[in-house]
Formats: sequence, C-alpha cells, structure tokens
Amino acid sequence: MKNIKKVAILVLIVPLISMLASCDDLFEPAIENHKDQDALYDMPLWAVGLIGHAYISNPLGSWSFNDVATDDAVSNDPNNGYRTMATGSWRANNNPMDRWQYLRASWQYLNQFLAIADDVKWAQDEVVAELFKERMKGDAYGMRALYMYHLLLNHGGWATDGQLLGIPILTEPEDLTSEFNLPRNTFQECINQLNADVEMALSLLPEDYGAIEDDIDVPAKYRSRGVTAGQYTRVFGDNARSRMSGRIAKAVRAQAALLAASPAYTEGTTVSWEEAANQMAIVLNGLGSNPIAEIDPLGNQWYVDGKAIENLQAGVNPKEILWRSNKESSSSLEETHYPPTLFGSGRLNPTQNLVDAFPMANGYPISESESGYSANDPYANRDPRLDLYILRNGSKAGPQSSTITTASDGTDNNALNKTETSTRTGYYMKKLLCQTVNANPSSKTPAYHYKPFIRYTEIFLGYAEAANEAWGPTGTGAHGYSAYDVIKAIRARAGVGKDNGDAYLESIKGNKDKMRELIRNERRLELCFEGFRFWDLRRWKADLKTSAKGMDINGGRYNILPEVETRSYQDHMYHGPIPYGEVIKFSNLLQNKGW
Amino acid sequence: MKHIYKGLVFCAMFTFCSVYAVSQEPLQEISGDTEESKVQVAFRDIDQEDLLGGVSTIDVKELTNKAYTTYSLDFLENVVGGMNGNLWGLGSYLVVVDGMVRDANNVIPTEIDQITLLKGPAAVVLYGSRAANGVLQITTKRGRLGDIRIDVRANTGMATPKAYPKYLGSAEYMTLYNEARVNDGLTPSYSVEDIYHHASGENPYRYPDLDMYSSDYLRKMYNRSEGIAEIYGGNERVKYYTTTGYYRESSLLKVGNAKDNYISRFFVRGNLDIKLHELITAQADANVTFYDSFSAAGNWWSNAATLRPNRVSPLIPLSFLEENDIPSWNTINASNNIIGGKYFLGGTQLDPTNPIADAYAAGDSKFVSRQFQFNTRFDVNLKPLLEGLFFRAKYGIDYASTYNQGYSNDYATFEPVWSNYAGTDMIASVTQYGNDSKSGNENIDNSAYRYTYNVSAQFDYSKTINADHNLFAMFIGNIWQTQRNGEYHRLSNANLGLQASYNYQQKYYVDFSAAMPYSAKLPEGNRAGFSPTLTLGWRPVKESFFDNTPFDDLMVNVSAGIISQDIDITGGDSQGYYLYKSIMQRGGWYSWGDLGGESATEFQRGDNMKMTFVKRKEITAGLRGSLWNKLISFDFNYFTGKIDGGLARPTSLYPIYFTQTGYPTSSIIPYVNYNIDKRSGFDFSVYANKKVSEVDLTLGVSGMYYTDEAERRDENYAYDYQTRIGQPLNAIWGLENLGFFNSPEEIANSPKQFGELKPGDIKYKDQNGDGVIDSNDEVFLERAGTPFRMGVNLTAKWRNFTLFAMGNGYFGGHGLKSSSYYWVHSSRKYSEIVRDRWTEETKATATYPRLTTTNGENNFRSSDFWLYDSSRFTLAQVQLTYDLPEHLLQNGVVKGLSIYLSGHNLLTIAKERKHLEMNVGSAPQTRFYNLGVTCSF
Repeated sequence: MKNIKKVAILVLIVPLISMLASCDDLFEPAIENHKDQDALYDMPLWAVGLIGHAYISNPLGSWSFNDVATDDAVSNDPNNGYRTMATGSWRANNNPMDRWQYLRASWQYLNQFLAIADDVKWAQDEVVAELFKERMKGDAYGMRALYMYHLLLNHGGWATDGQLLGIPILTEPEDLTSEFNLPRNTFQECINQLNADVEMALSLLPEDYGAIEDDIDVPAKYRSRGVTAGQYTRVFGDNARSRMSGRIAKAVRAQAALLAASPAYTEGTTVSWEEAANQMAIVLNGLGSNPIAEIDPLGNQWYVDGKAIENLQAGVNPKEILWRSNKESSSSLEETHYPPTLFGSGRLNPTQNLVDAFPMANGYPISESESGYSANDPYANRDPRLDLYILRNGSKAGPQSSTITTASDGTDNNALNKTETSTRTGYYMKKLLCQTVNANPSSKTPAYHYKPFIRYTEIFLGYAEAANEAWGPTGTGAHGYSAYDVIKAIRARAGVGKDNGDAYLESIKGNKDKMRELIRNERRLELCFEGFRFWDLRRWKADLKTSAKGMDINGGRYNILPEVETRSYQDHMYHGPIPYGEVIKFSNLLQNKGW
Repeated sequence: MKHIYKGLVFCAMFTFCSVYAVSQEPLQEISGDTEESKVQVAFRDIDQEDLLGGVSTIDVKELTNKAYTTYSLDFLENVVGGMNGNLWGLGSYLVVVDGMVRDANNVIPTEIDQITLLKGPAAVVLYGSRAANGVLQITTKRGRLGDIRIDVRANTGMATPKAYPKYLGSAEYMTLYNEARVNDGLTPSYSVEDIYHHASGENPYRYPDLDMYSSDYLRKMYNRSEGIAEIYGGNERVKYYTTTGYYRESSLLKVGNAKDNYISRFFVRGNLDIKLHELITAQADANVTFYDSFSAAGNWWSNAATLRPNRVSPLIPLSFLEENDIPSWNTINASNNIIGGKYFLGGTQLDPTNPIADAYAAGDSKFVSRQFQFNTRFDVNLKPLLEGLFFRAKYGIDYASTYNQGYSNDYATFEPVWSNYAGTDMIASVTQYGNDSKSGNENIDNSAYRYTYNVSAQFDYSKTINADHNLFAMFIGNIWQTQRNGEYHRLSNANLGLQASYNYQQKYYVDFSAAMPYSAKLPEGNRAGFSPTLTLGWRPVKESFFDNTPFDDLMVNVSAGIISQDIDITGGDSQGYYLYKSIMQRGGWYSWGDLGGESATEFQRGDNMKMTFVKRKEITAGLRGSLWNKLISFDFNYFTGKIDGGLARPTSLYPIYFTQTGYPTSSIIPYVNYNIDKRSGFDFSVYANKKVSEVDLTLGVSGMYYTDEAERRDENYAYDYQTRIGQPLNAIWGLENLGFFNSPEEIANSPKQFGELKPGDIKYKDQNGDGVIDSNDEVFLERAGTPFRMGVNLTAKWRNFTLFAMGNGYFGGHGLKSSSYYWVHSSRKYSEIVRDRWTEETKATATYPRLTTTNGENNFRSSDFWLYDSSRFTLAQVQLTYDLPEHLLQNGVVKGLSIYLSGHNLLTIAKERKHLEMNVGSAPQTRFYNLGVTCSF
C-alpha cells in the first residue's frame, strides 16, 4: 500500500509541474519577431531591404541559356522549358519567358521603398543622412529603369488595338484597395518613364562607387555641398560597388533606346537610330576620350582565367565589364555543360547554323568565294572564336586538355547522340566555362566565375548597329568613331583578318546593308550563349523559323543534319504574351496580337 | 531520450509494484463486470442503448479472438460504416487513445479494448476545435477482478509479393529505343550487333541485362514474427493490466547488407486502477515503445523503376582479368570491395554507382524511434455534496524521439575495357570511378522529438427521477498541446464543453452538447468560438402502436450542429499563427561588390482582422434497431452539410504580382474565410445472426457513400466548363482524347497541340474551338478517391472451429495511370506497356502512343487517355481458429489454447487488378499468411 501512495503522489505532482510550463499558443500566440511597416522609418537596413528584391530578382542575375530556343543552340535535356517552347508549346498560359509576375512583384517593392525613402532616419550625421537618401533613391530609380527595359523586352508588343503597348506604368505602391483594372501604357510612354527614372538616378548617384582618401577627391557635385572624404566614403565607398550607379543607369537607357529604335518597335516609338547611337556613345565615352582604344583585349574571353577572377579586387571590374555579379568559386556551370567524358551533362549544344556563322580567319564569311572554306575540312582556318567558344570534333577541353570526339562513330559518350548527355548537334559549348575545373565527383576542383550583367562589347556592338543605321558604316555622328571602327577593332581583337587587313570588312564598308549583316553577325558571335539571340532575332524581325542544324561526322565524312530541332514559331511570336490569367481578370489589359 | 528511458524504468517499477501490491491483498472474486455493454464516447461511457446518432463502436477485444491483425485500425473500414480513409469524407480525424491525443500506430490491436468512431457533430463537439473532422477514440484494456491471468500469443507468418512491375530486357529495350529514335527523326543508338550480344546472354558482364526483380537479389517471401504477453488481474483496491511484446520483420532483399534489413518493435504497457479511498479512484497508465528499422544504403525499389537493364553490370568476375595484367590488378586490388573474393564492383562514367553496389558497399542506416507515454485519471465521487455528482480529471504526457544512425560510405567502381582474344572476352584494362572512403564514425542525423501534454477536468452529474426521467449534465475543460523540434509554434487545442441530456423512459431523448473552443490563431476578439449541437431521439418501439411489429428495437434520431474549428486555419510558415496579420520580415539574400550581402525585407499576407473559425455545419439523421429477436440488426446514418469559411487567398481580385514566386517568395494577399464545400452521404451497417444446423453464422455488411462538391471558390477561368464550383473536391481534370493521329495530313488539319507532332501521338478535343489545344481545353474527367466504400464480413462457428472472412469493396473512384511505368519517354526504363505502341503497321490496334526520346509533352499529360476505374473488391482476410476443447485442458495450468491460421490481402477482383496490385518505385504489396497460437494461464 505504501507503494500505491507513492505512485499516487507522483501522479499528482507531475501534472502540476507541467501546468506551470508556459502556455504559449494556447491563449496567446507565441511572440514572433514581426515588425510593422511603420518601423521601417527607424530601420534603414530593413528599408533598403525593399530594394533588395530588385537585386535578388535581377533579370540579368543568372545565365538563362534561352539560346536553346533560337537557331544558335539546342538543349539535350528533354524537359528544358525553352526547348518545348521552341518546338511548339509557347502559349500565353505556358510561357517560360514570362517576367510579368516576377519583375513586377519587385517593382512594387521599389515603389514601396520610394514612398518611404524621404522619411527614413538614414543616419545621425545630417549630411550623411542626406547622401544615403540620395544614393538609395537613385538606386531604386535606376533599378526601376532596368526592370522597365526587361518588362518591355519580354512583354511589350503590338496589342489587339493595333498600338505598340508596354506595361501599365505604376510609380506609387499599390495596396488591396487600389484600382487594378488598368490599361497598358504605350511603349513610348514606358520608354519615357524609363528615361525619367534614369534621369532621377543620374541626378542622385555618382558615376561609380569607391572609397576616397582626400576631401579634394570628392566629386564636384558633392564637394560643393561641403561633403568630406569620410562622409562620401561612408555612403559611396567600396561597400557600394556593384550597386546601381550612374554608369549602369546610362547603359540601361542605351539598351532601351536600341530596342525602341529596332525594326520590330520603331513604328510605335519616336526613338531614332541616331538617339540610340548617341545613348550608346554616352556609355562608351565613359571609357575615355577614345573608346575604341579602350576595348579590352581580353574582352571576348573574360571568363577564361579563373585565377585572375579570384584575384580581382573586391568590387573592381576588369575593363570589359560594366556591371557584374559577385565572383564565386563553383563547378556547377561545368558540371552542366562539359561533355560527358569530362563528367558534364553536355546540356547546351551549339548548332551548325552558329558554326557556319563564324567567318574564316581571313575574315570572309564561309559563303564567300574568297574565303577558302572547304566543306570537307570545315574547321580549318576559321575565326579563332570558333574554337574559343565551341567544342567540335577533335577539340581539346578540360583540365587535362582531353580530345573531344563528337563524331557519331566515336566510341565514348561524347559521340553524337550516344547517350542522353551526349550532343545532339555534334558540338558542345565551351564558352563561359573555365577549363581548369575538374567536374569528376571524386576529385572535384572548382574555379572562380562571375556573371557579367553588362559587358562593354555589348555596348560597342549596340553603338555599331545604331550608328550604321543612323550615319552609315563610316559615319561618326558627333563621336569621332564609326560602326566600321568598332567592328574593325572587335574583329581585330578576335584575330580575324589579321594577315590581310580584314579585307572583307574593307570591301563592304561602303555598303550599309552588308555592314548591317556583318554587325548582326558579329553580335551573334560575340554574345553567343549569353541570352541575346532570342530577343535580337525578334527586334530585327528576322526569320524565327530556321531549323536547328547539326553535324554528323562518320568515317571522316561531314554530313549536315538539316533538322535537329524545328523552330515552330508563329508570326505573332515576335513579341511575348501578357500572362493569360491577367488578361481574363482585367478587361482593360489588352493582350498582344495573336496570343 | 532521457525521458524515454526513465519512462521504461518507471513503467517496469510501476507494474511490479502493483502486481506485488495485489498479491498482498486477500482475493475477492466478484462476478459480472457491467462495463461490457458500455460505449466509450467523449469524456464518458454510456449504455449502448442510450447512444444517439453518429457514433459507431467496435469491440476489438472480441474481434481479435477470431481475426489476427497487426495494425490497430485494420477492421475499421470493414465492420462498421462511416470510414473511408477518413470519417464521413472529412479531413484528417483526431485519434484519442485513453483520453490522450496520440498516434494510432503506437497502440497495437491486442492492447485495445474498444474503438469508437465519433462521426457526427454532436459526438465530437466536446473534444473542441481539432476534433471537428471526427474522432477515433481508442480505449486500451484494463485489469479486472480475479486471480492473475496470463495470455501469451505467438505469431509467425510469411509475406509474399503480389506482383512486380514488368520491364523489358536489354535487347528488347534497345530495339524499341532505336525505334523511338527513328520516330524522332534520329539515327538508331544501338547497332544490331550490340543488340544481338545483349540478347544472346553470352557475356552478361560485358553486355548487361540487369533485372532488379530477379531471384538473384530478392527472396520469394519474408518473415514477420511476434510474441505478446498480457498479464492482468486485480482485487478491490488495485486492478492491473500489463502487456509486453516484440515483433521483427525481415525484408524481400537478399543482396549485400540488405539481407539483414529488419524492422523490430518492443513495447511494455502497464494500466493500473487504484481505489485510493471510498470516494476516490485513480488510474495510471504507462507505455514505452522501442522501434528500429535497419536497412542497407541505397533506394532499391525506386532504382528498380528507373535503372535501365543495359546500363551497368554491377558485379564483374575477377576471372575476366588476365593474370599478367598487372596494372588492372593493381587498380582492382586497391578496392575495399571485392565481393565474395570473386567479383569487383562495376560502374561506368554515367552510372558510377548502382543499387547492387550500394547494398554491398555504401553503408547502412537505422531509423530509431522511442516513445514514452504516461497518463493518469482521477475520479472523485462528490456524493457527500450531491448524489450523482463526480469530479474527474485526466492528465497525460507523451514523449517521442526519432533519429537515424548508420554509416555512409563512398566506394569506387571499375569499368572494364573489353577485348576479344580468339573468341573469348577478356578485360584489357579498367577505369576507376569514385574512391573508397569510409566515414569511420557513426552518423546520427534527422534527430527529432515531439512532446504532447493533455489535461482535462470535468464535473458530471447524473440522476434518475421516479425511474422515468433520466438526467445527465457535464461541464468540461480540455487542453492539449504538441511541440515538435524545429517548429516554433505548438499545435494547440483549448476548449470548454457543456452537455445536458434528458430522456424519458429511454423513449424520448433530447441532448444539447456544445463547446467553446479558443484559438490563439485567430485575431483578438475572434478567438473564442461557439459550437452548439442539438439532438432529438425517439424510440418508437416503446410506443403501443409498435407492439405487433417484428422490431425488437428501433431508434430514430435527428441532430443539427455547427462546429467551429481552427484545423483549417493553416498556411504560411508559422503553422497558421498570425495568418490574420500582415507581417514584415527579412527574407532572401543578395550580395554585391564581392562582399557578404544582406537580407531583403518582405511583406507576407495582408491584414484580415475578421478572420474567424472555419465552420462545419451539418444535419444528420440516424436509424438504429433490430428485428426478429436480433436476427437482423442495423445502424444507418445520413449526413448533409457544409464546411463554411475555408481559408483562401482571393487571387482573382488582385494582380498576379501581388504574390512573388520563386526566390524569395512573398505575397500581400490576405487569407480570408472564403471557400464553401458541400458534402452529403450516408453510412450503414447491417448484421444478421442465425444458427444453421450446428453452425452459428454472422454476416455483416457495412459501408458509406458520399459526394462532395465545391460551392464557393475564388477562381479565374475564361470558360464555364472549367469552373471548379459544383464539381467534386477531388476531381480529375484533363484533356479529352480522340485517339491517335494516324497521318501527317490529320495533324495538319487539326488544332495545334503540344510540341512537334507525329502520327501515333494522341489527338485531343478542342473544347473551346479556338484552334489551339492548351490548358483551357481541360475538362472535368472523373472523381478520384472512392465514393462508395463497403465491407462484408462473415463469421461461422462450428463446434470449436471459427471461420472469419472479410472483403472490402471500393467503387466509383478513378485515377490516372501517370507513373513512370506508364509514361515511358526520354530516358525512362521501358515497361511492358510499350509493346502495344502505335506504329505504322499496328495503327489499327495500338493502345499506346508512338515511342519517343523527347519528353513526350503532347502525350504524357493529364487526359482521359490515362484514366482508369479503381473500383475493386478485395478479399482482405480469411482466418480459421481452433479453440482446444476445455476438457482437454482440465487440471492443467493452461486455461485456454487456440491455434489459428490466417491469410491477408489474398485476392483482388477488378477490371484494373494488374494496375491496382502493382507498386512502381516502392516495395511491392504483399499477401501475408500467418500461423498463431494463443495460450492462457
């Protein structure tokens, strides 16, 4: 009986003890560290975090490889969304190119930031507080311009009412009670908004960021306000590098102008080729008084040297790079794109169409009789960029410089169509990959990479394109350099026409149409696999339906595969759709024609 | 963990003390335990006769005498009506074991006395908010007056797989893959010569033809054995029930370390009833469970559904290495994994590991689960204050802890380069992939714990006035919470309950049961809810005009109730707390300038200070009775109602970009009480008892049919036929197929579909006539799940033999055959199904689309092409029991002995039997044959 009493005492005590334990979530929810929106005014880091969305969702943030939906490449991944899109599944309710939701969600955060920025307590020091306010607002305006450009690219188009439309322009944050059934503004109004945002950014931001030592070095527009070197460095110093700057904002404006002046858009805008060329030149002039002389000699192979990237000073850009991501050590890009024998998945397969676009080393396109091209020895004496960017049969790759055999009678998994990670075209992508990376899972060696957001080569080519249209191949406008000068320098950097003074270029420099073709081709080569081709073809109103071709090498014979993959685009697909669900929700939101 | 071991010691001490205590007391035999006819309902037990509707009960103790099972809820769907995966078509039910919220799988059938299904609103209301979807109330056995009695059971049985998916061998796979390539306009991948070598089987190491379902790797059957002892007895002061048991189950795999795979469970339970005082009784129960599941590394069954037969030879004999090939020997000899002294592990660059090598060399893992459960109860008779008044209190704490322990090793594999010398294959050299490495340390990971406490206290009062007026009233408070590691918030329930019942001569009944749930998930001001129910009952057989009818008993009842619940207040990342509130938090990460970076600031949801309980509104009617001296007894329930105010984010009102998807995610759209679901149906249970010559026969038929549909939804469809409103909640939506395209012309003249089409692809109907097939052409196809579920059981007793059989019916449900077994494309493993593919030659008879090496996005999507009817009848169990006649046991210590043989999941009758019996990517379904003995001392 004693035992029973003990048990009884025990069973009485145990409940009492735990009753005293906390009753969180029973009558009151356990307290979480939630903040109210009002708290933002006293928490500058949180306030800036609103802009953070725009950086996280940066449309330039990672490689899209949507080149596999063009005539430049195919993917060997049957589930690749761009692949299924290109072969006939592109719909307004199935759009892998959709940016409407993702970019406009961040746009809303930018608006929210701009609505409170003036009232945030940025710093104790009033001068510093004012500078912070300017920098952060400028940052937000600049990012909004960038977002506008990418929204126009992906969603702007000729709408069902026959007008060229952009997106509904919203500069105030929306809430649950806002009017949502808004019509799209015209494309030109969107360009105007973009330019206005760039103007705001330019008035608020310095050209570049970076610490300064002496007051005397404080940029004039700040020195006149009595800003010291210490105050300037605190706000605009090294820790602001790679944020939206005056230089970047100008580049975004130039990209948008080129888009607006292009054939697919020009009838709905007032932007001329001349204006596009001038905007591009403003960016180029930031390189120095003679931009042509400032072309980075390694600008077409910035990714090659992982060691050099590792040793880059934090936030500092090589000459080629206008804006870039952080450098990071990784092997994932190589694991995705190396050929199978190098332990990669061989995902992106360049097409014969692209290979054929590389001229001969003497500068002549392979179709020209002076080129010396031989279909039986197609890789001999070609533009050095071919072997720089593309692995073909017999190329060497990887840390051991292994020979890659893509011929269909090859014995290992690199052979054409051998297995699901083999190439479908006879080519693998070499560009963007660092060949010192070892992707073998049991002895992995990564290397440093970064993702350029904007490269000067793009700006040079944009200038050349616009200047040729505005002033002809050798016209310079007010800038002292012509489309011809740019193309000559870019081809010289590539090693094209070295021995004959680039005779082909010389032969066409009086012909605007031939020059246009050459500039577009140089753009195709220089910017291949970087996500440009898809929208370039569209803004040029070029043929979208060219099938992707491949190369089957068997017994030493070269056989073109005429249709590795179709390009099942229809005529309305020069412009992307507005999301289907939004169009049926909001009657004032017009769809682009044909979708 | 500490708690659990303490618990074990405590449990053991507890049991022995009580047995000891009882043995000290003089024995007093008292006959006639009256509790047998009582039914356990919420917070009390009542006479079967006084049950109103919406409750079913199962006498598990009785059932286990004739039907052996391993899972406590096995018979629920068969012997009574109302259960079909859930109760009455509602969401997840609550399991209450001895008054504590617990898992059903931690109480085993032999420990169970009774299971009550609380289905109707009036039956569940007292348990509060989280019981709104019904309650399974399990009561374990308790001690009883009398000498110590020991029941021992031993079971052993074999499980055999019902069916394996059938995949093509290497040669056939390669031939058909070539066909798929040609279909896609590509050249074949495999040469005729290659295919010949794989087909001939001349050297399966060079030309593999791997079959993971072969008897090289799998046993024909595996064993499950268990032993259980129950000890019980008691006297006036103390009654005890204690049980302990162990089972162990092996597995089908016999390759490598997987041959030792096992699952084991050991448990001890002690249930004690103590009379502390004339007016005070107490109960104290404890249970400890040790569960282990050991398995070799590798995921055998999922690999078996994906690894193609021609890809890798897992084990290659050393004998293919030439004696003087020193470099190869050096490479191989460095391996830690020479299997049986005869084989090295094979691999290729694309398959550097394989499931067979995993089983030998990749280590192992043991899932360990420990549970300790303790609960007490006090009953204080307040007769000195008021005759019939009781105070009762319950309290319980449960700890559960789980983790994985094991070794995870890497291993090297070797790919031979073959050559052929004078007709004999030999290895010319080997290439190594990966490296051998052993972690050396045992990994402990996935540690998790869970802690639950339950407290309830109640006053109840019962009184009978003038033998006619029976009164009962109860007032209760009920609280429980569960805390899990890694989760900041707790799962909580707090409610008050009130019950007032009256009946006149057990003829007219009225019952008012209500609860006041309290939920901290809701905004202040809306946290207290109210759940009223009212039930009326009438027993017409007690009326004089029923005198000359065959009815022994007939009871009619109607009930209406509204249950306020917060179960469906879920979403977001905090288990449903603060969902009413717009919050701002840090989320995502971005960096710049090659520096560290920072979090972004994000908003989650919009304010909705009107958020309130989701309400289950329901009207039920019941009819229960028996005829012709209990020859037939029946129980019938009808229910119709709504779940009103289900949470939704009304995205159709706002732009899509109010929600940010991908990374980071955020949304400023509020959660509102919006959705309404309608649901109605009936359940039934009919039993017939008859003695036919010497055989006692009992036949039972039970079942449930229900339908549900969405009544209110926030949606955004352009076409009326796509609305979800008015359609079943588990509707299958998809395209309507029109057979195969048979010619390029037919494709050219049809609406545009998905991707590049070829003859042999599925043709779809353009529902909206817009010339494009897309998701707008998807229509309602069928209802998934099983609307009509029934069970049939038969018991036949002849002398000392008892035969029990039960079968289950599932009717009216549908599904899509969308597993990798059916959707064969790109680099998937080819199953037998592709033999009936479309080709130019077979287009008249083909039942499967043309083969393709692409992802086949046109064919492999939701459509009625893949629809199947899941209706079936299964013979779930047959058991023959023989009870040794008592005269044979006379004078012995043994008081009873039974032997039984049972077969489980024996037979499926269905149009789609092959599909329904086949598991793809997981261990096969099994039939189970068991031999058992029960012995009482």
